[in-house]
Amino acid sequence: MSMERSMKQFEDDRKEAVKLAARLLLASGTTAPRVGGVGECTIHILDDPCDIEDLCQTVEGMAAESKSWGNTFPRDAAILRDADAVLILTSLRSLTDPADINCNMCGKLTCEYLREAERIPAGEGVAYPGPLCIFRANNVAYAIDGVVSQARNLGIDYGVYWSAGAAAMRMGIVPRDTGFAVAIGISVTEKSPFRDIPFRYQEINERTMNDRIIRRLWPQFRSIYS
Amino acid sequence: MAVREMSDLIQHGLDRAVEMMAVAANNSFRFGRKSTLKLITVGNEEMQEIAEFCYSMADMSPLAARDGRFVMELIKEPCVLMLLGDKRKSDFNYNCGACGYRTCAELNKAEEMESLTARGPSCQFKNLNLNMATSAAACMAWRLGLHCRVFSTLAMAALAMNIIEDVDIVSSVSVSVAKEDPYFDRHKFWTKEHWDEIFDKEFPTFTRGFIGAIED
Repeated sequence: MSMERSMKQFEDDRKEAVKLAARLLLASGTTAPRVGGVGECTIHILDDPCDIEDLCQTVEGMAAESKSWGNTFPRDAAILRDADAVLILTSLRSLTDPADINCNMCGKLTCEYLREAERIPAGEGVAYPGPLCIFRANNVAYAIDGVVSQARNLGIDYGVYWSAGAAAMRMGIVPRDTGFAVAIGISVTEKSPFRDIPFRYQEINERTMNDRIIRRLWPQFRSIYS
Repeated sequence: MAVREMSDLIQHGLDRAVEMMAVAANNSFRFGRKSTLKLITVGNEEMQEIAEFCYSMADMSPLAARDGRFVMELIKEPCVLMLLGDKRKSDFNYNCGACGYRTCAELNKAEEMESLTARGPSCQFKNLNLNMATSAAACMAWRLGLHCRVFSTLAMAALAMNIIEDVDIVSSVSVSVAKEDPYFDRHKFWTKEHWDEIFDKEFPTFTRGFIGAIED
């Protein structure tokens, strides 16, 4: 039995709402305050399911690189597969352009010492090539809060994941100078996929259950009773 | 029904608004489960001390001096400074590398570097939590119609003066119910000498002729 026309219409409109909401969240994240009043954050929208799948696979691939990532990264990937769109928030100056205010939050006393400090080489087990200019990277906090605040206003469900931000940097889909990035998944569904996560969600979720119960049984049924 | 004066209403409204800001900061989005944020507010007396401290830093930081001069004007009308702080060490175990150490354990064991502005090295995600709380407080102030700005300089001065204690990294939100937005235009708080010096340094070609000679 095919889906009713009105149900199809609802599904189309829901997807349209996600695209519209993602852009409004981008606007709010962009206009959030920046320390020193200097622009340095970019926000990138992934609203294509294939792009989100690529991101999730990279997150899953990174899970084995560090013991402390092993539990959370696969779960983050499973959750983000439920998201309708993902926003990547980046900090473009934290890696290459310290703020020159000698704030010592990085522990180097002066920005000159931070410039000279050796960065951790990007690669296995390294999410961000620190030490970063923390004063600059703090701008991401304001961008996150701008997006979250607008999501609450609009009644959009959201979840913030640093694992997917690091994966986006690994994939090279954010600007070249990005030193720090986090991802925000958004969803326009009746139950937020970002809250009340069951145990072992990476193994037991809607996709794996569908795969086990319906997609495996149906071909057998189809071939036997034809 | 008793008559209440406008000044009385506004002062009480400001106090209530600051409480709402504190709730918003306390309940803001955060990485990790439990907030370790510390938050206090200070009034005119402490703000004047902070302003004098900032002004005394003029040689090291012209920006701090500007903010010091600005606060001396700000406290002439009802205002409050909210100070937010957190510890520098990581309790997340993300091992992300942003701080420059491969693991959180290495960061937590690293030698503490003390300065007037902050104690480092600090966890990037602790900083994000602190600044998201700051942003939430500022967002609430904005929605309640208060004049509002986020200040690093005033917070760092408060840390150096031990006005906010038991924290390593700080941020602050200043709010006011002045009759004119005090944060909108702060040019007059820069000294002319500093402005000229910066302008000459940053835009040398503006005062030079085509071949580089300085025009009289």
